[in-house]
Order: sequence, then structure tokens, then C-alpha cells
Amino acid sequence: MAKVYRSAVIAAPAKTVWDYVRDFNALPKWHPAIATSEIEAGSPADRVGCVRRFTRRSDGGLLREQLLALSDAERTFTYSILVSPMPVANYTATMRFTPITKGNLTLAEWWAEFDVTQGPDADTVSDIGDNVFVAGFAALNTHFSKK
Amino acid sequence: MTKVFVSAVIDAPIAKVWAKMRDFNGLPDWHPRFSRSHIEGGLRSDTIGCIRNFDIAGGAGTIRERLLTLSDAEYTMTYCILDAPLPVEGYVATLKLYPITVGDQTLGTWSAEFKVVSGREEDVVDAVANGTFGKAFEVMNELLGRAR
Repeated sequence: MAKVYRSAVIAAPAKTVWDYVRDFNALPKWHPAIATSEIEAGSPADRVGCVRRFTRRSDGGLLREQLLALSDAERTFTYSILVSPMPVANYTATMRFTPITKGNLTLAEWWAEFDVTQGPDADTVSDIGDNVFVAGFAALNTHFSKK
Repeated sequence: MTKVFVSAVIDAPIAKVWAKMRDFNGLPDWHPRFSRSHIEGGLRSDTIGCIRNFDIAGGAGTIRERLLTLSDAEYTMTYCILDAPLPVEGYVATLKLYPITVGDQTLGTWSAEFKVVSGREEDVVDAVANGTFGKAFEVMNELLGRAR
């Protein structure tokens, strides 16, 4: 089992960040790697069990991910990958947002566990950690710095 | 039930911050609000259930607290107050550190729940949130922060 964990300070209050990212269908709105997204079967995006179907900007690659948990109390959600162009299996990931009271900022955390099905573990770990997770944090900071 | 939550970024790697904060008997070594501490019964300070007996600096009284949880895996400790010169009941507090991988820093979080049994609630909250928790993170940043 490979594990990846990344975290960063986001320059906005936790409620503001959470309101922006809690929508399971909102990846194209805030993540630069994602082009399109829809929730399958017309389900609401905050229904636990719903599936988001989205495409990568780089190559149009399709991903399907299922929402496993969503908590407004803990500002966290967990999902698993059903279909992905990445060489992973048994992939489960969680995002969590914790208030930083000094300065009214947010700690964003994003972590995942999975099996790598092709190539060295370290390559996939750094690809997901840096190109998906840290790139997402950077995009959030860019978004909130413009407000 | 009153709840307090304080968190701040410490500009140092989590291993350094945790090494300093995890010692349940070490509070007076770095926190200016407290002096003298010992673990009752000669127990080690990482024994779950042990009791720290320490003084508020300036002769403002003695506090006894019992260690309920200590996790090096989760960088967290939980403890409760047994005796203190504070008008609180049912006081349970948790210190938890989070690694910030971008920049190799640490988020310190410290929370408590308790019932204020006399006096003004905001005075008690201020003493806990600012005088104890917030001050602790300030001091950690001064001791371990890279800017120093």
C-alpha cells in the first residue's frame, strides 16, 4: 500500500475555503488539472455515495470517483476512485480543512492510500502528491489572493 | 459547556515541535506562565494516567492534570484537570500538531472543553485561550522558528 500526504496553509478562513471546495462536482472550478465534471444519475453532489465523472485537462482522461463521507462539522470528505487513467487500485483519499485561528487562515490537508499497479511506487506518489494535491493547494491560494 | 480552540503556524518541522511539547512534565521548561513540575508517584511522563503537578508562575497556585492520551503517531495528547485555581469543571484538553508539508512547518492546535462554575466566562476563556494555548505557540515559534 502506498501512502501520500500533503498539506499547506491557504490564505483564507476555513469557512470560506470549505464553502468553495465542499461541492463534490466543483473540481473544474478550482483545480487546474480538471476540465469537466458531472454527478452521475442526476444525484445531488452532497449525497454520500454519489459518483462524480470528470476529465483531465491534459489528455481528456476519464475518472469516476465515489463520495464515501462528507462532514460539514469536520470540514472533510473522503472518496474512492472507481475508474482512472492513473496506475492505481484500491485508492481512497481524504481532504480536510482546519481553521488556523492566528491570522484566520486554513490548513488544507489531502492524503490518499492506494496500490500502484504499474511502475515504481515513488513515481505515482510524487505525481499525485505534487501534481494533483499541491497543485490544488496552489490554485486555491491563487483564487483567494485575487479576492 | 464552553469550548476553546486555538491554532497557529509554527515555522519549524513537526518532529522538532513535538519533541519539545510531548513531554507531559516539560511545561515549565518552555512555557513562561508555568514553573516547577513533577510527575506524581515517580512515574515516567509518557505513562498514560500519570499526573503532572505544576505551579502557575508567580505563586498563583498549583495545577494537577492527568494524562489521558499520548500518541506519537498522531502527534496528540489529551489530559484533564484534577485540581486547579480555575473555576472550571469537567475540563478536558487536547494538543494536536499537524505537519504542513508545503514549507515544512507545523500547525499547532489546542482545544479544551469545560464548564465555568463561577466568575466571568470570558475571563476564563481568555486565560486558557490566550494566556496558555496561544502563548505556547508564540513561544514555540520564538524557540524553534527559522526566523530566529
